[in-house]
Amino acid sequence: MSGFLGMGGYAAYVWPSYGLTLAIIILNIVWARRLLARSRTEARRRLAMRGEPT
Amino acid sequence: MAWTWFHRLASPPHVYGLAARLTPWFAWIAAILIAGGLYGGLVLAPPDYQQGDDFRIIYVHAPSAWMSLMVYTTMAVSAGVGLIWRMKVAHAVAASCAAIGASFTVAALVTGSLWGERMWGTYWAWDPRLTFELILLFQYLGYMGLRSAFDDLQRADRASAVLAVVGVVNVPIIHYSVIWWNSLHQAPSVMQLGKPTMPPSMLIPLLMMFLGFTLLFVALLLVRLRAEILNRERTASWIREAVSP
Amino acid sequence: MLESTSAVSVPIRGPATSALGAAQLMLARDIRLAFRKRGQLIQPLAFFAIVTTLFPLGISPELSRLREVAPGVLWVAALLSSVLALEFLFRDDAHDGTLEQHALSGQSLTWLLFAKTVAHWLLTGLPLSLMAPLAGLSLGAPVGSLGGIVVSVALGSVALSLIGSIGAALTLGVKRSGALLSLLTLPLSMPVLIFGARATELAMKGAGFAPPLYLLGALAVLGVTLAPLAAAAAVRINLE
Repeated sequence: MSGFLGMGGYAAYVWPSYGLTLAIIILNIVWARRLLARSRTEARRRLAMRGEPT
Repeated sequence: MAWTWFHRLASPPHVYGLAARLTPWFAWIAAILIAGGLYGGLVLAPPDYQQGDDFRIIYVHAPSAWMSLMVYTTMAVSAGVGLIWRMKVAHAVAASCAAIGASFTVAALVTGSLWGERMWGTYWAWDPRLTFELILLFQYLGYMGLRSAFDDLQRADRASAVLAVVGVVNVPIIHYSVIWWNSLHQAPSVMQLGKPTMPPSMLIPLLMMFLGFTLLFVALLLVRLRAEILNRERTASWIREAVSP
Repeated sequence: MLESTSAVSVPIRGPATSALGAAQLMLARDIRLAFRKRGQLIQPLAFFAIVTTLFPLGISPELSRLREVAPGVLWVAALLSSVLALEFLFRDDAHDGTLEQHALSGQSLTWLLFAKTVAHWLLTGLPLSLMAPLAGLSLGAPVGSLGGIVVSVALGSVALSLIGSIGAALTLGVKRSGALLSLLTLPLSMPVLIFGARATELAMKGAGFAPPLYLLGALAVLGVTLAPLAAAAAVRINLE
């Protein structure tokens, strides 16, 4: 296991690359979902303001 | 008759519903492919005989670089469709692409720079592919900057669409001019996918990552597209049904 | 300034004039107008001179060292001053409504904008390429290379003006567009920088600089065919 984590001494380059890429993937997922959630709340708020049932 | 699917794609409520139904499929298949590709790339693939374990950076660098280019192309094509057929949904697709593409361009740049430190002994080399990614990032930033400069959404859509189309014409020119500019460069190993230079144990995880990233992009795009459509269709009556909890 | 602009723009209207004729009238009009605002004409040239002066001060007064970076310095300075000059391309006409008149005149907006871009190049790109050898001399370029510098900057600045016309048209409706205009235009201009600097470098070495010059020419031709179309589309979007 430590051999795998050590990556033959290259861990300092391989792991940050994977970490950064995965972080960007997760960030994109969170970001997209937050955007959609916000748009939905906003749409609901607009409908409520018009005095119609949501 | 053959065009009905195309006309339906111009209808926001249809696209909204379709996007909502398709997202989980794309997301889960992408998750499985990326997980499998990571396992294959990190564990199953043998170390490269020249680069040792360093070459494993390829499994995140190459798909990110692919994303940066594919997303830009998608953005430009849908922007072009939006301009020509005045299709609101196409503009919404283009608008959803930019942030995704820019973030993966950053990933390609940083992983490329980490890889470069191992291969060339320096974090930044003016290597044609890295330079190309950097200029592509500037094009994304220009697109996003232009969009945010307009208050009027329609004007932002159409002006940024012109820029995206011009930008996509520029992409191959930049590609070839940076290669010409720096012709002293190692053969780009990732681009030789067609040739049997990589054993299958290395190649299959890479292909899984390419496909996984592509499907991930579609899933992200569909979620963002729904948000864009909701923001654009403020007064439409179908919205109430769509957002009811 | 308002009344002078509209007075000169009158003959362009009306379908009686051909597209080419209207473009010629536009070219003449823009040049005449520009000479009424000489201050504006000199600004990009002064900027170019200042930027090329900054480099010796920032690097070293030794001509041998400056000679190495001279092509890059010349081209970066030319690129920046051409971006700076872009703000004058459509701005005045957009402000006083003349541009809208042109769009509604029944004449091809593409041709009119092409004429405006040609006028802009004659007023900024051409003087810039005539000034480049002076800056080249100050950076250690041998006298024999000055002709090559003029030719390469002249051809490259054609491409730069055309690329810039797209950016200028896109940012017409944007307030304080300076930084955005550079962000849009510079990535599109990088191939011009690459080939232009290479042509200048080869000229300074006394080598044949035709190959990069052909590539610059190809970019200029591509610009001539595509840029006016894109600029016209962008102007229409901003006038709507």
